[in-house]
Amino acid sequence: MKLRRFLLPVAICLILAMTCGIVTAQQKVKWEPYGPQVDQIIMPIIKDSEAQLIAFNRGDVDVLPGLTRPADINKIKANPNAELTMNYGFHMFYLCYNMRRGPLDADVLRQAIAHVIDRDNIIQTLFEGYMLPMATFVPPSSGFYKEDIPRFPYNPEEAKKLLDKAGYTVDPATGIRIDPATGKPLRKMTIFTPTYEVAPTSAELGKIIAEACQAINLPIEPEPMDFPVMLDKLDMAEFDMYMLAWGLSRIPTSLHSFFHSSNDVEAGYNRPGIRDAELDKVLEALYYAPSEEVAKKAADEAQVILARRQPYTVLYSRPYMDAFRKDKFTGYVPMHGYGAANYQNKWTTLNVKPVRGKGGTIRWLLPEEPKVLNPCTSSSAYEWEVLGRLYDNLMEVNPETMEDMPWMAKSWEVGTWEPEPGKKGTVVTWHLEKGIKWQDTTPFTSKDIKFTIEYLRDNKVPRYLSSVNEVVKVETPDEYTAKVYFSTESYWHLYHADLSFLPEWIWKDVKDYKTFEPWLESHPTVPGLTKAIGQGPFILDQYKVGEYVRLKKNPIYWRLSK
Amino acid sequence: MGFSRYVLRRLGYAVIVLFVIMTFNFAIFRLMPGDATKMIIDPMFTPEAIAELKRQFGLDDPPIVQYLKYVGNLLKFDLGLSFSTRRPVVNELKERLPNTAVLFLTSFIFTTIIGISVGVYTASKRGTFGDNFVTGAGLFTYAVPTFWIQLLLLMLFGYYIPILPIHGTMSAPPPDGFLLQALDRIHHLILPAGSNVIVAFGSWALYTRNTMLEALGQDYILTARAKGLPETTVLRHHALRSVLPPIITLIFGALPGMVSGAVITETIFSWHGVGKYLMDAVMQQDYPAAQGAFYLIALAVVICNLAADIVYGIVDPRIRVGEGGAK
Repeated sequence: MKLRRFLLPVAICLILAMTCGIVTAQQKVKWEPYGPQVDQIIMPIIKDSEAQLIAFNRGDVDVLPGLTRPADINKIKANPNAELTMNYGFHMFYLCYNMRRGPLDADVLRQAIAHVIDRDNIIQTLFEGYMLPMATFVPPSSGFYKEDIPRFPYNPEEAKKLLDKAGYTVDPATGIRIDPATGKPLRKMTIFTPTYEVAPTSAELGKIIAEACQAINLPIEPEPMDFPVMLDKLDMAEFDMYMLAWGLSRIPTSLHSFFHSSNDVEAGYNRPGIRDAELDKVLEALYYAPSEEVAKKAADEAQVILARRQPYTVLYSRPYMDAFRKDKFTGYVPMHGYGAANYQNKWTTLNVKPVRGKGGTIRWLLPEEPKVLNPCTSSSAYEWEVLGRLYDNLMEVNPETMEDMPWMAKSWEVGTWEPEPGKKGTVVTWHLEKGIKWQDTTPFTSKDIKFTIEYLRDNKVPRYLSSVNEVVKVETPDEYTAKVYFSTESYWHLYHADLSFLPEWIWKDVKDYKTFEPWLESHPTVPGLTKAIGQGPFILDQYKVGEYVRLKKNPIYWRLSK
Repeated sequence: MGFSRYVLRRLGYAVIVLFVIMTFNFAIFRLMPGDATKMIIDPMFTPEAIAELKRQFGLDDPPIVQYLKYVGNLLKFDLGLSFSTRRPVVNELKERLPNTAVLFLTSFIFTTIIGISVGVYTASKRGTFGDNFVTGAGLFTYAVPTFWIQLLLLMLFGYYIPILPIHGTMSAPPPDGFLLQALDRIHHLILPAGSNVIVAFGSWALYTRNTMLEALGQDYILTARAKGLPETTVLRHHALRSVLPPIITLIFGALPGMVSGAVITETIFSWHGVGKYLMDAVMQQDYPAAQGAFYLIALAVVICNLAADIVYGIVDPRIRVGEGGAK
């Protein structure tokens, strides 16, 4: 996937980086697709943020991932042995409008509200500058990001003009604008946010935006509330506006979930309740795109419509801020979308190495308990910080271009087939590299792909159901070719067929995947291994609950440094 | 009333209380606003996947069926599967309970020994500098928030004078050999347990001091002193002995706090225990996990109260006599 029109976010990132002394993905960093360079990763589990900072500053940990609080970032910057990396993520913080009922069903009202939001000031005031302003519906780190869309920059005067022109005149008696649809002053509207105790910045943001709306005579009030209560109200569509965040991915199919009219149902993800026939058509074209080109075109069109109609007003994106001990380690690879220390950034895992000497142990902080190391049930990012280093994927993402690149699959094809007469389906063909081995030395073959997809589909594993429930069959013409047949036509099935694969000889006898604890059971034939084995660069050596995880270099890794 | 009848009666009360707690424990989480599955559902889950998840956790059963299953399982000490981890809650609690027990039994033993000793000492030295200092320090540590003192100690001994570990129960990885591992664990225990002692000793000292002062003003103490008994004998064998029953009750009453009061200390010092587990479970609306942790705490409270009643009945026979009338 090509990353085009990337100039604005790159510029913002660079300006922030230059003023803060931070390394970003724009700065050329040497990386190679071989490794790992260290012998061992020890991941101490430290939950308290103060203790995490102390541990990093006194050298107990070498990598401190996912910094979010400005005060912590400033403390790290004061440490001469620390290097901070900052990269665009897939996070999006937004203000959502309920378009099902008046007066927020009027586009002009939402556009006027978008005009009174001063993103730069909010970011400076609430986050000391450590957020990136964002107004688009696809994050700039995605290859599907479109820069050239309708925008409503901060301009209260323009907001007033828009409203005046649309007939929202100010009622001299109340000081509130009159709704041209009813001829009466606009009703009071509220912005739901979590409470100050749970999410102080979100609650404060609600207050700031409500005050900005009041300044242009819109009767809008903030309403912080208990988070579960808020979620219930959102599910029942009992709200005017609310503020929350999404964690997205580089694939823009979330646009279909969030804005297609078929998802405007109780507890559906189309929370604004937008029903737009033109948008639906474009989103369907995106969701069922037969090729990347068609998907890109549809994503572009969807972003333009959404920017104009403003079911959300997107405010900012939280970048990945990771800290490394530069006096001890080098070779980390900043990467947009994932940050430098995230498990999805394979390149740091492979390339990080000691400043002096070779091998050694890097201490990589885990801010929460991983709890479960079962690829079928693990759901938290902390669990995948461990698991993600045990498994390899069929494809990887190039850290510089953000394009898909071959990994365990040396090539692939996306084609079509006829699941039934007159109906088109997708067939993804993977051609595997030879010489890849599971950590117990068993060769990794196309049969593993077939077993995994069928196991996940037949057991209805919720985490993977959306990926595999349309798989009709998997064929393995030879040991290094797998053909995955889907019942529908969609380019995205390419990503649905790339999973964390399961070793058949361990999983075939697992009757209940939910209660299976592979990290606690010894490998049936190889001493020192558990049943949590992959083909990745590290082996799970020890998980001492509540204390640490120890990963050891996989001595038979297929991409060992030459 | 005979002692055995007294114990049986207390046991009956304990069972009734436990049953009521079990029922509340079930109802309270379901009455909470919000849908628990929201916390574990990925935005990309299909409606089919969401329905499957609800089926797996029995959330599609009517409430009465869920309740009956819950009571039946609880009697077998099967606390169900955690929503967030899909692991048996019993296993998760088993992993954490020893850590919580070690931390808080250590803290508790040192707190009571130091608190009671200081209380006895200050009572015997009333009005002196030592009494004023200890009383002031006790009041100060009692009054300030626990987390503030703990964060202060964390900064002091973790960063400015970095001689103590600041997280976990052992080094990562721990040293080889039993003795070195034992020493390593003690080293890790100093800061969390020490901070608990600093925070809690004041209330014990002040309580003991006040009850001792009351006892020291009694006629039998005057008589003991008039008999020429050494002051330490008067203090230990006459004054302290007479204030022991309320202190023993206080000890048993405070024991359940070793589980429920663990949240802050365990979070600050990354101590893998039940308190943090309970907190996370409530925040994530993980019913089985929260129910399991609450059940454990309720069980601890009921057992400790039962033990307090029994011990109180032993040290002060008037209690059991008073309940059923003189025998």
